[in-house]
Amino acid sequence: MRVRVDAAKCEGHGRCFALAPEIFKEDDRSHCVIPDPVVPAGLEAKARLGRANCPEGAISIEEG
Amino acid sequence: MAAEHLIPATGELNLLDTNFAACPQPVYAELLERFRVGTTAVIGAPLLSRYEDVIWALRHPEIFSSAMEVHMALGTERPMIPLQVDPPAQTRYRKILDQRFSHKRSLDLDPAVRRHANQLIDAVIERGECEFGAAFAIPLPCLTFLSLMGLPHEDLELFAELKDGIIRPPVPASDLVGAYEHRARTGQRIYAYFEKVIDERLAAPGDDIVSYLTTAVIDGDRLSRHEVLDICYLFLLAGLDTVTATLGCSVAYLAANPAQRRRLVQEPALVPQAIEELLRWETPVTTVTRIVKQDITVGDVEIKAGTMVNLLLGAADVDGGEFADAFRVDFERQQNRHLAFGGGPHRCLGSHLARMELRVALEEWHRRIPEYAIAPGETPRFSPSIREVRHLPLVWGTSQAAKRA
Repeated sequence: MRVRVDAAKCEGHGRCFALAPEIFKEDDRSHCVIPDPVVPAGLEAKARLGRANCPEGAISIEEG
Repeated sequence: MAAEHLIPATGELNLLDTNFAACPQPVYAELLERFRVGTTAVIGAPLLSRYEDVIWALRHPEIFSSAMEVHMALGTERPMIPLQVDPPAQTRYRKILDQRFSHKRSLDLDPAVRRHANQLIDAVIERGECEFGAAFAIPLPCLTFLSLMGLPHEDLELFAELKDGIIRPPVPASDLVGAYEHRARTGQRIYAYFEKVIDERLAAPGDDIVSYLTTAVIDGDRLSRHEVLDICYLFLLAGLDTVTATLGCSVAYLAANPAQRRRLVQEPALVPQAIEELLRWETPVTTVTRIVKQDITVGDVEIKAGTMVNLLLGAADVDGGEFADAFRVDFERQQNRHLAFGGGPHRCLGSHLARMELRVALEEWHRRIPEYAIAPGETPRFSPSIREVRHLPLVWGTSQAAKRA
């Protein structure tokens, strides 16, 4: 599974890194950064949780 | 028998109705079901309620402008920055402001807010009762703001008076001229106050926000004195009442729903998620306004360029098209993309600060006063617009037992 954030859509709500800090990190403006787009095994649900709670729809997931 | 409608066939909603402020959710339900585009009473502005319409408007500032006429509003001489400025100018301001109001920076204030919260609780805990607004919900955000701005805590009452002078001028609701004049006079006092603070910080900078603004550089430029003033003015109006209102709405809900409250007492780790759900359910900032820049059509309603529209964040936040089981308050909701802090480029600048204040406040209050109730025979009273609980008498401990007996 791969996860990515569209920086043009992210508005810094901070929901992703609050709910799934293992995958989503914050920059100095509280916008989302994803240091490693490959989701570690076992954290798939966390990645989906981050996507499901982004009010801007900025997070996308490539299954598989 | 047909159910009685809360909204007339015209789809008109009075946003300033105190009954609506006290219990808006059934009204939202009816709006969502019957009127894709409602209208506001008195002004007659189109009112968007559906989640999909509201988030679309919030994300498209080129169609839905925040650049309001300032002559009628809030005692100001110029637009408040960045709230009443559109991108790309707004984007430049947010670059420096977002850094200062980041999630990480908000955590630095956690110990100070926790200290303030405990001092306020110390003052009432033995008494077994308090009016929650006066005792806690009003002073806590004011103290946080004063700390952030590097201002003396003795100015607490002055700040409460200045923001109330703009948000709820002490004149009858029908006296529009009186309200306008009071706001204009209060606005002048706010400008004068911050003019003095700016002079002091230019002479002796500290690590407070005003010093930060006087020295901040955006794309090689310093902010002008007017820009610093127009940002400070916004902070005073936006940073105090909103957190007060959210604390009041949340504690009124928890006082009336003891089973939900006891879960938070038993599982403090649930507080952050509960705050998100209470923000969704209560949405204390019920509505934001925009000016449409071009003719648009929403459903089968045409809205002409130049029209002011209201985006009903509160209704969007209980829209069943977005939220599963939208009318159930569920502290473990798995998907919660609520718009209590707005969305798009104007997403509430203070949202991280507000979340920290709410978390610390609910943690400390429930750690020390886990069992409380609305005083018997009393009903909380809400003020409209920003849904602030103006009267929330609570009882606990022996006082609660005595009053129940």
